[in-house]
Amino acid sequence: MISAQHLTRRFAARAVVADVSFDVSKSEIVALLGPNGAGKTTTMRMLGGLIAPTSGSVVIDGVPLTRATAGTLRARIGFLTESPGLWDRLTVRENLRTYAALYGLSQPEHAVERAIDVLQLSPQASVRAAELSKGMRQKVALARALLHEPAVMLLDEPTSGLDPEITRGVRRLLEDRRAAGCAILVSTHNLDEAERLADRVAVLHQRLLAIDRPAALRRRLTTGRLIVRVTGDPVRSLETVRRFDPAAAVEGPALVLKVADAEERTPAIVAALVAAGACVVEVRPEMPALEDAYLRLMGRQAG
Amino acid sequence: MAMTRVRALLAKELLDLSRNRLALLPVGFITILSLVLPFAIAVAIPMLTGQELGSDADLVKVSGVAVGHESLTPSARVQLFLFQQFLLLFLLTPITGAMALAAHAVIGEKQARTLEPLLATPVSTGELLVAKMLGALLPTLAISLAGLGLYLGGIVATAAPGVAPAMLSLRTAMLAIWVGPAAALVSLQSAIIISSRVNDARTAQQFGVLIIIPLAAVLVAQFTGALWLSSTMLALLGLGLVGVWVLLVLLSVAIFDRDSILTRWR
Repeated sequence: MISAQHLTRRFAARAVVADVSFDVSKSEIVALLGPNGAGKTTTMRMLGGLIAPTSGSVVIDGVPLTRATAGTLRARIGFLTESPGLWDRLTVRENLRTYAALYGLSQPEHAVERAIDVLQLSPQASVRAAELSKGMRQKVALARALLHEPAVMLLDEPTSGLDPEITRGVRRLLEDRRAAGCAILVSTHNLDEAERLADRVAVLHQRLLAIDRPAALRRRLTTGRLIVRVTGDPVRSLETVRRFDPAAAVEGPALVLKVADAEERTPAIVAALVAAGACVVEVRPEMPALEDAYLRLMGRQAG
Repeated sequence: MAMTRVRALLAKELLDLSRNRLALLPVGFITILSLVLPFAIAVAIPMLTGQELGSDADLVKVSGVAVGHESLTPSARVQLFLFQQFLLLFLLTPITGAMALAAHAVIGEKQARTLEPLLATPVSTGELLVAKMLGALLPTLAISLAGLGLYLGGIVATAAPGVAPAMLSLRTAMLAIWVGPAAALVSLQSAIIISSRVNDARTAQQFGVLIIIPLAAVLVAQFTGALWLSSTMLALLGLGLVGVWVLLVLLSVAIFDRDSILTRWR
């Protein structure tokens, strides 16, 4: 649904986005992670046809994004900008009505009421945008991005500054859209959100540093710890587990090993302990957080 | 150009303006001034001082440029000349009144951070800019035409015999419904171009004021009798202005740089 190939964007001599390639499939949510100034918003804008790449190409829903096709493709994209950007003197409903007309919807009133209903904005529908809280403004902006039921959604920081309740609502909404076949690219700083929501995570820092499922990214980039509890004194089993990790140690009542792929190596470790006469009570892989993987990638980049 | 999108944006502009009526204060003020000033000079002052307009030899001489009204008394001719000159103020009303609105059109959206979501829709640059121009022009033109109606009504009620029929001429109609709106189109489209090329509202307004200068020059030339535009000349002038407006629309679309506006303006 979304295909970016070798996207590069320069401002004068400075490359803000360099040679970025990735795809987002139908019914998939990809989170675009990166620090401030990593090029997330610029990438979003290029994918949404708002600014042109210096080089590289974008294909949306099978159609190459060009100057000639940008207008038509923008009708298929739901774009949530960094700032909600509502007209303050207009009510929520009036804001949405204007956009429904701009998208050329055949039943604009129906689309507006549906969006108000989905985002649970009925109590605020007749309130002027200037009077809304930040969270409500963001919800209205999301309603605006959903009005035309787009096949592709590009969401720049959709839950930025929202309280946990609204954040959860937004997350559910995006899951619903994914289930409806939408391809969704979400830019975020929030690693927890990326992990909960996204099927894949793309780490961007001018270049695309990695793109994978969150769990695969963690496994690939960090060494997990395996916590093994045995009956009796764990020191007696230390020799056995040091065949798998020479630096294995005893921490309290448990043996602690560092293994590259805990899931794959656990059966062999347990078998070796049992063969050595140990009675295994608990084996618990301690997977590193996505944050560790992310920071490691950023560290490599800085290095 | 999809008229549904132009209409949608225009409706939004008018709704927004209806909730910010202070923005229309300049055009209201200029309209009132355009109504009070001519009647004060051409009717009230001669009446209060007892000095007829026809007693001023210079005025009588200058009023001679308005040909074809030899049957009027000297005072009536001067009064007609003055009313015809002040008519030009109504041409300036929609321009000066809407200039701030037009100059603010694009930069205002950018500063309110409403431009990016707007540009993320299928709306084309032409649709956006025409809707912005009409959003500034239509309300001010409506106020100006209402003022013009009062002006002509006032002339019918208070002017010397023969002046009102002479005022209700093809030339007046040409000025009011052809040259005036055409001049406003050109001026406001120029202001929209400026608004899409500068990156703050104050600069846009500073440049916008410059657009008034050629129009003010025409006004001064008319007052001094140095320039008298006949109905035919006015028809051609209006046609020329509409042509210039079409070129300006094309130019404004060509130089509207979405990329720069989104990435370089703060």
